[in-house]
Amino acid sequence: MKKLSAKDVTSEVLFNKRRNFLKLGAASIVASSALVELMAKENLPLSNLKYLKDANENDLKLNTFKEITSYNNFYEFTTSKEKVKDLAKDMDTTSWKITIDGLVKNPITIDVKDLIKKYALEERIYRFRCVEGWAMVVPWIGFELKKLIEDVEPLGKAKYVKFTTKYDTEMFPDQSRGVFSSITYPYVEGLRMDEAMNPLTLLAVGLYGKTLEGQNGAPIRLVVPWKYGFKSIKSIDKITFLEEEPLNTWQAQNKNEYGFYANVNPKVDHPRWTQKRERVLGSFFKKKTLAFNGYEKEVGHMYKDMDLTKNF
Amino acid sequence: MKKIIWFVAFLPLVYMLLELFVFQNASDPIKYIYSITGTAAITILFFTTTLSLWFKKLVKHRRLIGLFGFFYAFLHMANFLILDMELDVLFAIEETLDKPFIYLGMISFTALVFMSVTSTKKLFRKYNKYHKVLYLVLILTTIHFVMAQKSLSILQFTYLGIFAIILLAKINKKTKFFTFKEKIKA
Repeated sequence: MKKLSAKDVTSEVLFNKRRNFLKLGAASIVASSALVELMAKENLPLSNLKYLKDANENDLKLNTFKEITSYNNFYEFTTSKEKVKDLAKDMDTTSWKITIDGLVKNPITIDVKDLIKKYALEERIYRFRCVEGWAMVVPWIGFELKKLIEDVEPLGKAKYVKFTTKYDTEMFPDQSRGVFSSITYPYVEGLRMDEAMNPLTLLAVGLYGKTLEGQNGAPIRLVVPWKYGFKSIKSIDKITFLEEEPLNTWQAQNKNEYGFYANVNPKVDHPRWTQKRERVLGSFFKKKTLAFNGYEKEVGHMYKDMDLTKNF
Repeated sequence: MKKIIWFVAFLPLVYMLLELFVFQNASDPIKYIYSITGTAAITILFFTTTLSLWFKKLVKHRRLIGLFGFFYAFLHMANFLILDMELDVLFAIEETLDKPFIYLGMISFTALVFMSVTSTKKLFRKYNKYHKVLYLVLILTTIHFVMAQKSLSILQFTYLGIFAIILLAKINKKTKFFTFKEKIKA
């Protein structure tokens, strides 16, 4: 990731907003309504976060805000990707606290709002590849997990990081279904310490300049762009540092099909379906899936001594 | 009666086309086409086997209804070959041989092609005994359907429950049928 120069700092949205503000003096109300209209036309939400803009060096074509917020896997609500949006509408994430504990020197429970204030936010435009074979490009807003890890100071024994989604049967309908729920809750994911410390690994709190929608894992979620989407756990309640590899939800669900690492790998098919190609939402034709989802340069070295057909 | 069958049988297709082109709600259209055509095909085909249980009036329209089942299976298959595989036949064959989930579907489809071709009056007389292969198709497609899911939802468990009940009812009917026949002979 290239260091950005000062002129890249202001987001386009803020830039437009400021221009509009200046116009406001002359053109009064007309100008501000023009901005709202522009946002509506472009299908963009009104920005409520300050962040450093991503230069988008790979020239990735962003999926629209509508696409990103209308097609989501969030089993805590439903297994239907189209219905999550509606069910998540009333998800109340105000005063959401996140706990960091386990093998760390400084365990902490902190309000996500304070976390956002504590760490400078930046935009990261990442490819996102679901194990089911669809993909999208998302302009996440967040901060590197690395920064948080450095602040809580893991003990030498800590080798893995475990993430847990909130368990709240009133918030998540599928969690209240007991034995009839689609998967076992709470949802758990994990990373090896070097993966968690990789500069690509992001704790996201927003996208398209706005705090996350419920269906995208509000108020805080993990984004690990070189792994299948299910690793990027949503609505995090707890981050725990461990000595042993945690058992992640999908591996527990079916260990022949989902592993701990879940690196995007076109050479290792899911037993039931292909991983050679993917369909980016919004484009009709499929494209070839890239090794490590196109981030081999940044992350490949972490796995060079591993048999990725076994550690899938 | 025929008009009603035509009308009902076209509902899933009309609904699908509306969702795809008018409301444009499907973010992943190919997957959406798979779901709708697959569900329609399997439901219609299961339905044809139940006619003798409670829709005796419809039994004479069995062929038409069955052909509609084939029609949706055909769309499902066309979706695989044309839209999903983008007519890359080699890749389609590779994938088919590699993934049980796909070859179960292929076997079923082949059986359905055979049934459709031999459903004309003349050929049906000759081949109707082989049309029992439909039961094999239904078992295979049910496995195919389950394998296509990442995990099963309550709704899908309900489908499976209904399939199981129909199967039991059929088996029950079959066994009774045989005792009935024997009685006549006696």
